[in-house]
Amino acid sequence: MLGFLIGEALRDLHRAGRVAVAAILLTTLSLAALGGFWLVSTNVGQAAEQWRDRVRITVFLKQEPSAAETDELVDRVQAMPGVAAVRYVSKSEALGTLKEVLGKDASVAEQLPTNPLPASLEVMLNEQGATPEGARGLITRLSELPETDEVSGGMDWVDRLARGRRLLDVIGLGIGAVLAVAAILTVTTATTLVLHLRRQELEIMRLVGAPELVVRLPLLLQGMLQGLLGAVMAIWVLIAVYALAGPHLEPLVNQTLGLERLTFLKPHTVVGLMLAGTMLGGFGGWLARGRTAP
Amino acid sequence: MIELHRVWKVFSVGPVKVPALSDISFRVAKGECVTLHGASGAGKTTLLRLLYREELPTEGDIEVLGCDVPALRVREVAALRRSIGVVFQDAKLLPGRTVYENVAFVLRVLGTPRREITPRVFDALRRVGLSARAQAYPAQLSQGEAQRAALARAIARKPLLLLADEPTGSLDESMAGEVIDIIKDIWARGTTVLFATHQARLAAALHQRTLHLLSGRLVKDEG
Repeated sequence: MLGFLIGEALRDLHRAGRVAVAAILLTTLSLAALGGFWLVSTNVGQAAEQWRDRVRITVFLKQEPSAAETDELVDRVQAMPGVAAVRYVSKSEALGTLKEVLGKDASVAEQLPTNPLPASLEVMLNEQGATPEGARGLITRLSELPETDEVSGGMDWVDRLARGRRLLDVIGLGIGAVLAVAAILTVTTATTLVLHLRRQELEIMRLVGAPELVVRLPLLLQGMLQGLLGAVMAIWVLIAVYALAGPHLEPLVNQTLGLERLTFLKPHTVVGLMLAGTMLGGFGGWLARGRTAP
Repeated sequence: MIELHRVWKVFSVGPVKVPALSDISFRVAKGECVTLHGASGAGKTTLLRLLYREELPTEGDIEVLGCDVPALRVREVAALRRSIGVVFQDAKLLPGRTVYENVAFVLRVLGTPRREITPRVFDALRRVGLSARAQAYPAQLSQGEAQRAALARAIARKPLLLLADEPTGSLDESMAGEVIDIIKDIWARGTTVLFATHQARLAAALHQRTLHLLSGRLVKDEG
């Protein structure tokens, strides 16, 4: 029986002709748009994660502590929630770093009468500290230390990156949703057309007492098949775009976001897109049945 | 098998009420072959449609195969129809399918096991004399052949009751005779038959009980 129903669904799909093709293409378009934004969002998110791992908070000290005071201060900071590691940077080490940065102009630093650079603590964040709220709390606690002159660094721009990613998600979902509605309506139209073409068959089915499921299922399957085909095509489009454009975009992405290479959608996302397409098509098929039910 | 008690069917055309059937009562026993005779517009088709619940009566009781037809729910209507074969004047064959596929289609949608379909289709086609035309499409059939194919489709399901609505209406005398012979054969094998016709000669040809309808009223029950 299932073979017969699937056969009928394929026959209906063939009968719907160009309208079915339009429905499949619209599903492709909507899911490709959704998947495309998802792809960009995934990579931006990955960059945000990567940068979050590299975030440091620098605590500039009022004066250079003694060796014993340094150990005690480092232990105190290390014990704060959100801190993964603490490194003490002395005034002389800071000057050394400045000279390295200046390179051939390092002699400028040597002409200074005294070392103007403050000693500092470089604070690396753990998972708890690498959140906007965690970092803000830690910065407050570090600012309240009596030894602290100034605290710099934080999560602001990582926050902005994360907000940008969320905006991308919303735009992607919005465009995807509009196109998905169009795809549902087209699938509904294709299925309604098939219903019109099949009116004699449906009449015979009703007259001989065919179970409602047998009448309904091929229409639902037809819609689901259109949705699934659209989703598979959308994934092909994304793979093709990724394979063709990826190598050209990687240097740019590397410079701007610091990502070594772009990543494609994860397998569960691909499966999710296929399921979304199938459900979208099934919904279209179901709507058509509802509109023409006797 | 069939029992109607004081059945009325009134159609509303705007504010106007048009009675199609008025106070119809009769019984058909299991295994009977009954002809429903009346001129066009006498109410034959409406009466048959009431029996397979394509229409609901305005008033009255209808019992078919032990079911209180007007009270049936949708699922129960489908179950009732599985026991009834219906044949129409226009045959209602599916144009995109061969004769074989037309007969097999109803068996498939009713969930007949695959291995049983081909033997049952060919048995039905043999009984109506269409075995050689199994691969023909409806457009390639004569009207008589199309009507026989429709009969094959109805009997392949082995119905308990056959309702034939003017199956000979558009056929010439010899073709109509062939269809009548097939209906007699179906009845002889135990199926209860209700055969509607406007042709008095065909009603007589069955040599069975005849119900005469006139303007929606049952005016005579003879035989």
